[in-house]
Amino acid sequence: MAFEFTPERLAQFHELLTHYPEEHARAAMLPTLHLAQEQNGYLSQDVQAYVAGLLGVSEAQVLDVVTFYPMFFDAPVGKHIVRVCKTLSCDLCGCREIIEHIKERLEVDFDETTEDGSVTLLSSECLAACDQAPVMMINDDLHGRLTLERVDELMDALE
Amino acid sequence: MGKPKERRILYENIDAPDMHTLDVYRRHGGYASLEKLFDLNAEQLLDIVRDSGLRGRGGAGVSAGFKWNLMGQGEPKYLIANADESEPGTFSNRYILQHKPHMLIEGMIIAAWSLGVHKAYVYVRGEFTLGKKRLDAAIQEAYEAGILGESVAGHDFALDIYTHAGAGAYICGEETGLIESLEGKRGQPRVKPPFFPAAIGVFMQPTMVHNVETLSNLPYIINNGTEWYQSLGAVYKDTPRGVDPMNTGTKLYCVSGHVEKPGVYEVEMGLTVRELVELAGGVRGGNEVKAVIPGGSSAPVLTPYELDVPVDFTCLQMAKTMLGSGGIIVMDETTCTVRALENLMDFYAHESCGQCTPCRVGTPWTRDIVARIEAGKGRPGDVDHLIEVANNVANIDTFTWNTICVFGIAVSWPAVSFARKFRPEFEAHIEQGKCVTLPVSEAVAPPEENYAWPQELPEVERKPTWDY
Repeated sequence: MAFEFTPERLAQFHELLTHYPEEHARAAMLPTLHLAQEQNGYLSQDVQAYVAGLLGVSEAQVLDVVTFYPMFFDAPVGKHIVRVCKTLSCDLCGCREIIEHIKERLEVDFDETTEDGSVTLLSSECLAACDQAPVMMINDDLHGRLTLERVDELMDALE
Repeated sequence: MGKPKERRILYENIDAPDMHTLDVYRRHGGYASLEKLFDLNAEQLLDIVRDSGLRGRGGAGVSAGFKWNLMGQGEPKYLIANADESEPGTFSNRYILQHKPHMLIEGMIIAAWSLGVHKAYVYVRGEFTLGKKRLDAAIQEAYEAGILGESVAGHDFALDIYTHAGAGAYICGEETGLIESLEGKRGQPRVKPPFFPAAIGVFMQPTMVHNVETLSNLPYIINNGTEWYQSLGAVYKDTPRGVDPMNTGTKLYCVSGHVEKPGVYEVEMGLTVRELVELAGGVRGGNEVKAVIPGGSSAPVLTPYELDVPVDFTCLQMAKTMLGSGGIIVMDETTCTVRALENLMDFYAHESCGQCTPCRVGTPWTRDIVARIEAGKGRPGDVDHLIEVANNVANIDTFTWNTICVFGIAVSWPAVSFARKFRPEFEAHIEQGKCVTLPVSEAVAPPEENYAWPQELPEVERKPTWDY
């Protein structure tokens, strides 16, 4: 079945449109894609076509945006998204050990999903929380001052 | 004269419970500036902001008054708060959004009234989920309390503020990349000059883009006056052409890396790198400093010979680096500077938006050379090769870039400064065919070989006394 927004999300979409000048509906692209990804998990071709129709732009223009931004997924991902920061301040505070540990524990590399489809592991550029380095995000939540024990606790809670 | 210490203005009471709510923010004096604001007209406000000396806190350090003066005449006009905080080592906006979002709204109301704006956006970094949630709730509260909407605080002035979430691209922190992204496109920066956003910005209309911290300064300037703001920070005299001597106000310094107490330190500008490191508890375990990045990862790195440079716009510019976003990354004696640079070049190679060939190709190329040196596979001449490739993305000596935006210079600044200032450590990697971390005294090039030496710092007109 072709993708469409739930009635609640469709209402949210129409509210979003009011944020931008009428002739610039395309400006609602990023928020609309966030909304679609929230519903569908990732932005399949189906979803992209639907968003293109809503905003009155071509599918190519949607694809153009989807492929530019790292937070948009054009292929299925796991139930949980784990983003581990690997930029300088985290590196100085030992994120490499943390990353190795997570990879071993999940038996995946970056940009891969665990076999059971539970976790997709991503590397992240600076998450702007360097005072808490090393840091990672699990779904919407930031976790700082990571130690191997803390990582294990957080991972245990996921399963 | 006292020792440099924190002076919390923007960050005052930031830890107070529920400071992100309207009630608590008001109880701590929030929105007081609105009582004065509407008695002032655009011209008076431009004078106040210009005379205060307030400079942009996002990176370029442009005088806010100068920018306001350039605002075009077309209608409608827009205001954008840049909350796409992504410069490695910077994290002060995050806590403003999470803990004091009403301060940003108050600052935006001041800027909007001054500039005749009725629609404003906050471009929030996609990963700032809690910050966006708190800001959205604060905006909602402000509407309900009549602080936003048809009639701002009961005055004949309408203002709507909307948040707009990014999706993880560093380049959207560049103001024209941000504008493209806000318009629903790839965040690829626009060619400028001739048209800066103040003339032609979002939806082809005059647009003022300010960093969150810059806007957050406005309520305090309106409340306490220009003279009070001018009395904070450092002012220099006889600066060369093109070097602004004003460093008024406090700065939210984000200190991270190998210090005992990493965090955000709000201090009047004028303290030195060494003093700031001390303020952050000193280097971990009493170790020696090897390198300090003074203004986010794009700023040229400083060596232990350069720790007495004041961490402000003027002095860092004269020391051939920059205050940038105020992200200070401290590296101690255990750090391998080649590995540190490889980490940064990895970041830039990943974040290059791909629009301009010198950057799209040159950045990964620079990264590859550093990676090969770090892996012990460097060839003789690689350090010069690295400098040449990076300088062809943007030349740090002539300060010209072969790219549309300043991302190019943000790549070559760290690349060339690390390679030149820590050349002995880079060469040792190549000679020994492996990663070697030299002691600080051997890793740093002699100061006379440093391209930013001798350091000619300007004469001080006024510096903070820290007598409080």
